[in-house]
Amino acid sequence: MKTNEVPQDGSILEKSGVRDVCYAVDENGEYKQVISVGWDPKNDAINYAWQTINEECEEIKKEIIAGKKSPLALHIHRLVMTPEILAGYSGFTKHQIKKWCKAKHFNKLSESELEILARALNIEVKQLVSTD
Amino acid sequence: MQLNFIHKPSGHCENGVVSNLLRFYGIELSEAMVFGLGSGLFFAHMPFIRLHGMAVTSFRPLPGEIFSRVVMLLNIKMKKFKFRDKELAMKALDDVLLKGTPVGMLVGVYHLPYFPKEYRFHFNAHNICVIGKEDNVYTVSDPVVVEKCTLTYDELKLVRFANGTYPPKGRMYYITDISSKKTLDREAIRRSILRNCSRMLRIPIPMFGVKGIRYLAGRMRKWEKRLGSKKAALNLAQVIRMNEEIGTGGAGFRFIYAAFLQEASDLMNEPVLREFSKEMTSIGDMWRDFSYNAARLFKKRDPESITYDELADKLILIADREEQLFTGLEKLMKDAK
Repeated sequence: MKTNEVPQDGSILEKSGVRDVCYAVDENGEYKQVISVGWDPKNDAINYAWQTINEECEEIKKEIIAGKKSPLALHIHRLVMTPEILAGYSGFTKHQIKKWCKAKHFNKLSESELEILARALNIEVKQLVSTD
Repeated sequence: MQLNFIHKPSGHCENGVVSNLLRFYGIELSEAMVFGLGSGLFFAHMPFIRLHGMAVTSFRPLPGEIFSRVVMLLNIKMKKFKFRDKELAMKALDDVLLKGTPVGMLVGVYHLPYFPKEYRFHFNAHNICVIGKEDNVYTVSDPVVVEKCTLTYDELKLVRFANGTYPPKGRMYYITDISSKKTLDREAIRRSILRNCSRMLRIPIPMFGVKGIRYLAGRMRKWEKRLGSKKAALNLAQVIRMNEEIGTGGAGFRFIYAAFLQEASDLMNEPVLREFSKEMTSIGDMWRDFSYNAARLFKKRDPESITYDELADKLILIADREEQLFTGLEKLMKDAK
């Protein structure tokens, strides 16, 4: 890659202080550092991953309305968590979390348990029991 | 308390932390030199380790290895720790920091507040350096951010004890003694290149090094049949994300290594290394071409985009070129003694 070919496709990084430092050769063939705000194929890969997550969330919402899954299942998925990771952050076991992903078990959760889950997910209890 | 620490951003987080740390002690090594000395170029495709339910593809050795290798070659003394107890981990950090020592550490990116939200996946092998503390707020030098940033006590504790694949467990490292430091010589560079060659060519497991690239190619051909087109596209996107994540990854690492070979050529007075650097640059371009075409495939914006088979063919070509390069490099370095 030549220094003048370093892509500057800003769409994700530009809002933050994070940048890509790229290495490229200048006209004399010497390597130089060039700071980049992103590259489209990479942005596409990240956006594609998020797009899939969002689509899957819509599916989960349908199941919540059908009374099968609980809002917890949605938030776990939306925040790219897994029952295992949430177990690590909240102190509950993986099996408890999996159980609460079903509506009938989720509805029996106490206020304090909801609070612990919400804190581990970094959201409010109000949001945890809703599908926002 | 703020340390007089010069923060320079870099292409790869661990190189950056090591290079910035060494500069604090008056040792000026470029990022590329750190990467090369740490034998940082690698490839692994590991179906037995999962991230978001998919196989992990890695272009780097385990975190911490670059630092260990560099300080070993320079005969610098360092300490590294990992913790079970969170409060203890924070106290240990404060104790070292308040004595005037910058502390490198491993964190998860998921909860890093200064990261764009699109980047917040459970990726737990990010390196930062803590360089100051005022009341409850730590000053942090994160090599992927242009300026210094800050993290509160709770934020830092959270990222140091992130959960998920390869949890960092509060890992931290710092330099303790540079009095017996060796100057960087020909032999150190030669050994580090030889080590990198051996890691790319001689690990007797098919998932690592050049063999690993072929292994990924082989698996890629079967994705569509085995997983369906949707899951296959997701797997491909995951490889590209790992390939290009935050400036590091496949192509980026090849370019950094090429920059290292260029520097090594001057330091060792081996003009042939410049030819290897050029070859590495063109391999890096092939990786970029691979990413570019892969993105076209999973975005489906191009009706005539290429197939998984054709992508796999590209990987095989890359593997062949890398094998050739490292075999040549190994021979050159063995003869150079």
